[in-house]
Amino acid sequence: MTPFDFLAASAPAALLPSRIQMAFTLAYHIILVPLGVAFPLLTVVMEGIGLRKNDPVALRLARRWSVVMAVQFAVGAVTGTILSFEFGILWPRMMGRFGDVFGIGFGIEGWAFFLEAIFIGIYLYGWKRLPPRVHYRLGWVLPPSGVLGAFGVIIANSWMNTPAGFQLGPDGRPINVDVIGAIFTPALGYEFWHLIVALYMTAGFMVASVYAVGWLRGRRDRYHRLGFTVPFTIGAVLAPIQWIIGDIATRAVFEGQPAKFAAMELTWTTQSHNPEWVGGVMRADGTVVLGLPIPSLDSLLAGFSPGTVVKGLSSFNPGDRPSVVDANFVHLAFDVMVGLGSIAVLLTLWYAVAWIRYRDLPRSKWFFRGAALAGVGSYIGIEAGWITTEVGRQPWIVYNLMRVTDAVNPVNPVYIWIMFGTLLVVYAVIAFFFVSLLLRLSARWRIDDEGRRDEIDLAPEESAPYGPRPV
Amino acid sequence: MNTLVSYGVAGALLLAVSAYSTAGGTDYGAGIWDLLAGRFRHTAEVRALIDHAMAPVWEANNVWLVFSAVICWTGFPLLYESVFLSLYPLFALALLALILRGAFFAFRKVASSSSSRLLASRVFGVSSLLAPFSFAAALGAIASGKVGVGGPVVPVWQACLDPLAIGFGVVALTATAFSGASFLVGDARRYRAGTDEGPDLVEYFRTRALVAAMALLAVSLVVLVLIAGESPAIFHGMVAGLGLPFAITAVLAVLAVAALMWRRVYRWYRVLTVVGVGSFVFAWGFGQVPYVLPGRLTIEQAAGAPAIEALLLVITVVALVLVVPSLLLLYTLDQRSALES
Repeated sequence: MTPFDFLAASAPAALLPSRIQMAFTLAYHIILVPLGVAFPLLTVVMEGIGLRKNDPVALRLARRWSVVMAVQFAVGAVTGTILSFEFGILWPRMMGRFGDVFGIGFGIEGWAFFLEAIFIGIYLYGWKRLPPRVHYRLGWVLPPSGVLGAFGVIIANSWMNTPAGFQLGPDGRPINVDVIGAIFTPALGYEFWHLIVALYMTAGFMVASVYAVGWLRGRRDRYHRLGFTVPFTIGAVLAPIQWIIGDIATRAVFEGQPAKFAAMELTWTTQSHNPEWVGGVMRADGTVVLGLPIPSLDSLLAGFSPGTVVKGLSSFNPGDRPSVVDANFVHLAFDVMVGLGSIAVLLTLWYAVAWIRYRDLPRSKWFFRGAALAGVGSYIGIEAGWITTEVGRQPWIVYNLMRVTDAVNPVNPVYIWIMFGTLLVVYAVIAFFFVSLLLRLSARWRIDDEGRRDEIDLAPEESAPYGPRPV
Repeated sequence: MNTLVSYGVAGALLLAVSAYSTAGGTDYGAGIWDLLAGRFRHTAEVRALIDHAMAPVWEANNVWLVFSAVICWTGFPLLYESVFLSLYPLFALALLALILRGAFFAFRKVASSSSSRLLASRVFGVSSLLAPFSFAAALGAIASGKVGVGGPVVPVWQACLDPLAIGFGVVALTATAFSGASFLVGDARRYRAGTDEGPDLVEYFRTRALVAAMALLAVSLVVLVLIAGESPAIFHGMVAGLGLPFAITAVLAVLAVAALMWRRVYRWYRVLTVVGVGSFVFAWGFGQVPYVLPGRLTIEQAAGAPAIEALLLVITVVALVLVVPSLLLLYTLDQRSALES
């Protein structure tokens, strides 16, 4: 069995490009998700502060945030549309066999997304013409629609990880479907809370990091203070909660998806007193090198006792579990996620201690350096968590029911490579536009703040490509 | 009961497809006129108006496309699988056009040099042609009977390039050009209300709406003849069956818009445009009943698990109750310029 067993003759030729394309487009889309789901709450809260305290600085922040929110929502709308068609182009057999039970979450997600798209339009263009109170109240539609959308996607993903709520008919398709069981699968609870908290944490840290950079550059006005404090506090409150949820989720994976757990913990042999590997690479024979084993810790974490038996990869049929290459990916991603999450908890402690002692932000530059990196760090954490759950399910597309090789479109791989190559170029172009637009907005707003107002003639939302009015 | 639910879901699917054809189609039409603007006078003013018209609603429209996909795979998994196994090149093409279009629409706003703005306009315009053409071609390929259960009955390329696929694509192009021009008449009127300066874009788009209406009717007639040759059952459904009322409505509505434009009566033309374009889709859809793949797969055979279909229908109804008033609010605010600066 070679590390590249998915290239073997038995696997469809289009499998590799299909997997790469799906991984690439999903990883890209995931970058847009935290702000798409969680940014509206930050913005509406900031608008509420502005209205209650009659604070023009808070209102200015909220108005500018709404622009960034809308632009990146628009990009997310496009990359999300691509995904819904990729299900058909790349994995038609999976859709044909399980499309109904798999699809119900997307039925919810699609409508929630639509509601959010409509209200983002209203919110963005309503700044000028709607009365402030009405505008603020309409804004409150956004956070629940974002969460509902994420809930829908997680229904689908948790179903792939722990499929339930049906029996298989003679043709392999689901019969006797119980919709409640198909929606509330064992993995739904922990996946949902783990994701939602991750999204809000990431949005909070990401937005705060922009103002942390400004702070480090000496811009210590009320604008930067407020722009940092509100989102960072949300992120900081959630970081320790996420630590606990992550721990619960890992134990649930141990119970419900043992092969994934074995990959996450680089466990080859089924045994009690299983060590926790920090770092480490598994070789083809199952031995682990280059890592630090902490004796019995994995057994202790999984079952609260060193005697807990952890199933190893070798106890599964080689065709039914992640390959050694997959397992190494999964373990690395898992370690990165846990490591970054732990650093976030430390940052939170620092913030809390400073607040308790001085009723003020920490003074150290190192804190703000950490906060400036927390945004990007959270994104890496989310991607790592997604790699953990998706690669950890291999070789299954629907756990224990359908293999990825059986789901793929049996086309000439050249077509998929061409499509992937084109998408790669287009997505790079989009990233370039998106980043340069954000930089341009930031520069324009700084000119505005420095009192050189006459150099620009547009309100915040008018400088976005979402649709400035022609003059 | 199960049959009733399946037909309900099929109705929801057809509704989503026709909503996309009208709302999304208007967007694509604006893109087409944007592309052609370079060949006529007032290029800059026309493009400014199109930017102005599309901005607040442009990606809400594309959400209908996502619904069409989701309802299709959840309600009719076997249909989704068969269509994608047979027609994936068309969908890949449409997707690339879709994403290029969104990216370059945004890019045009931030482009600083006139050459890069021109390039952005070209890409935006060409992808506005390609996307509706490819999507409609997929519907045409289905109508031609080349999509079999679990894969194409002819080589994939042949299914994608079937005369009926091309025909549907051309109908979609003229239909989007028509609805784009019709709605731009309204935008030009509002735009002009504030200022009397600049060229008369109302006349500009009025002429184009008239020409496009005639082209749409002519092309539709040709495609109807093609359908009669390739898929007699659908032809029968469209001229003597369930599709007939919609076919008549489509023709009458387009003619009515043309008449209103001719006489410069600017009332009801937008509603009639939506009714007209939507009815074309309904005429085809109802003409196919009871088949989702003509002659091969019926609505009942393609239906997914009954419990899921029922839930999907409930979700759709609840969501429509929430979304329709919201959408009306957005359109009303937009049309009243309440969202404007």
